[in-house]
Amino acid sequence: MPTLYRCFVFFLAIFALAVPALAQKVDGGHATVELVSERAVAVPGETFYLGLSFELEDKWHIYWKNPGDAGLPPEIRWPDRTPPEALSDVGEFAWPTPDLLEVEPGLIMDYGYSDQVVLAFPVTLTEGADGPVEIAMRVDYLICYDVCIPESVDLRMLQSVGSAQIADDYGSGLIQQGLMAVPPRFEGDAAVTRQGDVWVLSAAGGQLAELSGEARFFPNDHEIVHAAGQPVEFGPEGLQLRLTPAKSDADAPDVLAGLIKIGDMAVDVQAVSGPMIAGTSGLGGGAGQGVQTGAINLPLMLVLAFVGGLVLNLMPCVLPVLSIKAMGMVSAATSGHAGEARAHGLWYTAGVLVSFAALAAAVLGVRAATGIATWGFWLQDPVIVSVLILVIVLIGYWLLGLFELGTSVQNVGSGLAAKQGAGGAFFTGVLAAVVGAPCVGPFLGAALGAVFGQPAIEVIAVLMMMGLGLALPFLLLSFAPNLQRLLPKPGAWMETLKQLFAFPMFLTAAWLLSTLGALAGFRAAAILVAGVALIGFGLWAWRAAGQGAKAILLSLLGLVVILPAFMLISAVSAVDYVQAVIFLALTIGAFIVVARLPDGAAGGVAKAVAAAAVLAGLGWPVMQAVGSNASAASAGDSYSASYDTDTWSSERVAELVAEGRPVFVDFTAEWCAICQVNKLQVLQTAPVTEAFAAANVAFLVADYTRPDPVIAAELQKHGRAGVPLYLYYAPGESNPQVLPETLSTSLVTGLVAEN
Amino acid sequence: MTMVEVTRRNIGLGAGMVTAVALTAAALISFSTAEAQGAIEPGNEAPIFLDAVTAQGEAIDLPDFEGKTVVLEWTNHDCPFVKKHYAAPPENMQGLQEEAGEAEVVWIQVISSAPGKQGHVSAEKALELNETRGAAPSYTILDETGAIGRSYGAKTTPHMYVVDAEGTLQYNGAIDSIKSASASDIADADPYFLNAVNAVVEGEEVQLASTAPYGCSVKY
Repeated sequence: MPTLYRCFVFFLAIFALAVPALAQKVDGGHATVELVSERAVAVPGETFYLGLSFELEDKWHIYWKNPGDAGLPPEIRWPDRTPPEALSDVGEFAWPTPDLLEVEPGLIMDYGYSDQVVLAFPVTLTEGADGPVEIAMRVDYLICYDVCIPESVDLRMLQSVGSAQIADDYGSGLIQQGLMAVPPRFEGDAAVTRQGDVWVLSAAGGQLAELSGEARFFPNDHEIVHAAGQPVEFGPEGLQLRLTPAKSDADAPDVLAGLIKIGDMAVDVQAVSGPMIAGTSGLGGGAGQGVQTGAINLPLMLVLAFVGGLVLNLMPCVLPVLSIKAMGMVSAATSGHAGEARAHGLWYTAGVLVSFAALAAAVLGVRAATGIATWGFWLQDPVIVSVLILVIVLIGYWLLGLFELGTSVQNVGSGLAAKQGAGGAFFTGVLAAVVGAPCVGPFLGAALGAVFGQPAIEVIAVLMMMGLGLALPFLLLSFAPNLQRLLPKPGAWMETLKQLFAFPMFLTAAWLLSTLGALAGFRAAAILVAGVALIGFGLWAWRAAGQGAKAILLSLLGLVVILPAFMLISAVSAVDYVQAVIFLALTIGAFIVVARLPDGAAGGVAKAVAAAAVLAGLGWPVMQAVGSNASAASAGDSYSASYDTDTWSSERVAELVAEGRPVFVDFTAEWCAICQVNKLQVLQTAPVTEAFAAANVAFLVADYTRPDPVIAAELQKHGRAGVPLYLYYAPGESNPQVLPETLSTSLVTGLVAEN
Repeated sequence: MTMVEVTRRNIGLGAGMVTAVALTAAALISFSTAEAQGAIEPGNEAPIFLDAVTAQGEAIDLPDFEGKTVVLEWTNHDCPFVKKHYAAPPENMQGLQEEAGEAEVVWIQVISSAPGKQGHVSAEKALELNETRGAAPSYTILDETGAIGRSYGAKTTPHMYVVDAEGTLQYNGAIDSIKSASASDIADADPYFLNAVNAVVEGEEVQLASTAPYGCSVKY
C-alpha cells in the first residue's frame, strides 16, 4: 500500500510538472506577468504562497503599496469579485522594498519597482479541496515611464492538490526571491518627534546599529511630503531623518509606519510619538536618498566657507567696497585713535555678519517656500539690483568729492556706506557682503549645493563662517597696532587715492547694469543711467547753489524755454497753441521772478531743485524696476554669433543624445561674473568654437538670469546651489560629465578630442 | 574726513541699520514666499495667478472671480485616469461641470503639460477636446511653463481644488475615493470633490478638505 501511495504521489508530481505550462507569462503591453505557486502539490488546509512575477520593459515601472504622489499599486481582481471557492483565505501582497522614483524634483516623488519584481501573497487551500484547482484572476496594474498606461492581464493556473507537499522549484524560487526582498520588522526602537516644522524620525538598535549610507524613509501613507528632502544624521546606535509633514503645523502622529532604507537594506518601522531615541545623532550626516544632495562633512565645510570668505576680499566685485574701508582705516590709524580703529573693525564685522545672517534667513525662507534654494538669487530681482547700482554710484560720487558727508547728517538715505564712523563701517560690511556674496560661487558652488539641503542650523553656521572669513582681514588690521603701522602716512595722496577708488565703483555699477539690462530690459538700464545723471546734477547743483544759485536757475529755465518753443512749432490745433503760449508765459514769468529774487532765497530754491533731482534720480529707476516686466535679452544671445545655440531643456538634451550628437550645456546667468569670464576666455574663443563645430557639438544654454524652477531643479540634481554649471554629454551617453566651474580651453577641447 | 567717536548717536544709527537689514531680509523672505506660496492647504489663501492664458482666448486673473466659487481641475486628456472620469458613460466629469455651472461655480481646467509632453495641446485642440467630450468648463488654462501647477503643488491628473468666494482654498485632493483607472468604480466611490464643492456652495464646512490625489503625474 505505501508503495502504491508513493506511486500516486509520483504520478501527481509528474502531473504537477506539466502545470507550469498552463501558467504562462502573459504580456500586458509593457510588462509580462506570470502567476506562480511555491507548491507543485499543495495539501488541503495548508497556507502557502502564490506569487505574481512581473518583468518590466526597460525604464518602465510599477508601484509600491504607497505609490507616492502619483500612480497606483497592482491589484488582483477576482472574477465575480470573490476568490475561487477552493481558497478559503487570500492574504495581502508581501511588498518588496521599493525604489525612489523621482518624477519632478521637489514636487512629485513616487515609490515603485523597475525591471523585475515578485509580489507574493499567502493563500489557504480549503480543507475539502480536491483535484487540480483552477485559480484564475485578473491583475490590474498601472505602468508608467513618460506616460502612464493601465494594463490588465488575465492569469490562470492549475494548482495540484495532494496529501503531501511537493515544492515547485521554479515557482518557489521566484516567490523566495520576492519574500527575501520584503523588509523585516524592525527590532529596535523608533520614535517620531515634532521639532518645529519638521518631524524627526529617530530609530536605534535592531538591524540599524552601526549602519550608514544613503538613507530614506518610505511612509505607508501620505503623512509626509513625499518629494521633500530627508536630511539624515547618524549616531552610534542609529539614525535620525528629518521629514516634512504633509500638513504644516501638524503634530507628530501617534504611529508613523513605513520603511527605513539604508543603502540596500530596509526595515519595516512603526515609529511611536515620543522623545527622540538616544544615540541617533552626533556622527554627522550620511547621504539622503533621492532629492537629498548628499553627505556633507560639516567641519570641512566650515573651513571651506571660511577660506571662501577670505578669498572674497580679493574679488573684483568686493575690492571697491573694501577700498572705502581701507581709507577709514588709514585715517583712524594715523590720527592715533586706536580705539576708533577697533570700533570700526567691529562695526564692519557686525555689518558683514548681520548681512550673512540675513542671507541665511532668506535662503532658508526661499527653501521653505519653494523646496529649493540657490545662491545669488537676490541678483535676480531688478529692484534690488537697481538699488545696489544707485548706492554704488552714490559712493562713487562721494569718493570723487561731489558731496561731503560731514558732521551734519543732511541726508541719511544717501551713501550710508560712505559715512565715516560706526554707521559707515557697518554699512561697508553690509555692502561687501551683498555685492561679494554671489562671487563665492566658483569656490564653493558645489559644496554650497550640499549645504543648502541640510538642517537650518548648518546652513546658518556655514554662511556665518563665510562672513567671518570676509570680515577677518579688516578686523585683524583694526586690532593689531603693528599692522596699522605698515600703512602709509596720510597726506595729499589720500584724496587722490579716494578719487581713484571711485572708478572701480563705477565699473562695478557697470557690471550690475548689464545684469539689470538682462533682467528688466535695456530701457530700465537706460532709465537707471538717466537717474544717475539726475543725481549727479542734483549733487552738483546743491554744491554750486552757494555761489551761483541764480545762474543755475536761470540757465535751467533757459533750457526749459526750448520746450514751449518746440510746442509752438509743432502745434496743429488751437488748443496746442494755447497750451504752448501758457507754458511759455509761465517759463518767462518764472525767469523774471528768479532774476529778482534775493540771493538767499535763490539759494534755497536752487537747493530744493537739487534735492528734487537727487530724489527723482533715486526714485525713478527703482519705480521703473518695480514695474518692469519687459522681455529681456537672454544670456544666451551673446552666443548666437559663435554657435547655433538652443535653449536648454532636458527633453532637448534627450533628443540630441538620441541622435548621437555630443551635447554641451552652459548653465549661466548675466549676473554671474565667473560665467562671463568662462564665456569670453574659453567658450567663445576660436579653438573651442572650431573644435565644437568639427565634432558637431550641440551647444545648449540654460539662462538662470531670472528665477527658473526647472533650471533650479536641474542645478540641484547636480548638487549645485547656483551657476555656473557645465555639462558635457558624450555621443550617445545619457549621463553627463560635470565640468569644473572654471574652464580652460584645453579642458573643453579635450572633451571633444576624446571622441 | 572727520573721525567720529563711538557716541550714543552712532550706536543708535548702528541699531537702526541692524533693523533695516533685518527688515530687508524679512521682506525678501515674504516676497519669495508670496511667489511660491508655502503650504497649499485648505484654510490658506489659494495661490494667485494673473494673466493666465486660456484656450478660450481670454487672459484670466484668479482675483477676477472673487465672490464666486472656483474649481480648478488639472487635466491631461491622454491620461487614463482623466479618461476614466470623462468616459461615456457615465460622463462623470461632464456631469460635475454641468452641476457646477448650474450653481454658478467657475470651473477652470488647467493643462500643465510642457510642450512635447503628454497632454500638451494647442488652444484649438483643447477646445475641440472639450467639444467632443461634451465637457463644459468655464476656462481652460494652458499652463505650458507649469508655473501655476507648481504654485498649487498639482501632482496628478486629475487633481482637484476648490477655492471659495473669498479666495480661500477649501479643498485640495482627489476627485473620489477609489484609486483606479476603471470607470466602473465611479459609482461605488465616495465623491470627495463633489461633497466639497457642494459644501462650499452651501457655505458649509468641508468635511474632508484634503485627500491624496490619484492619477498620472502632471507632465511638467
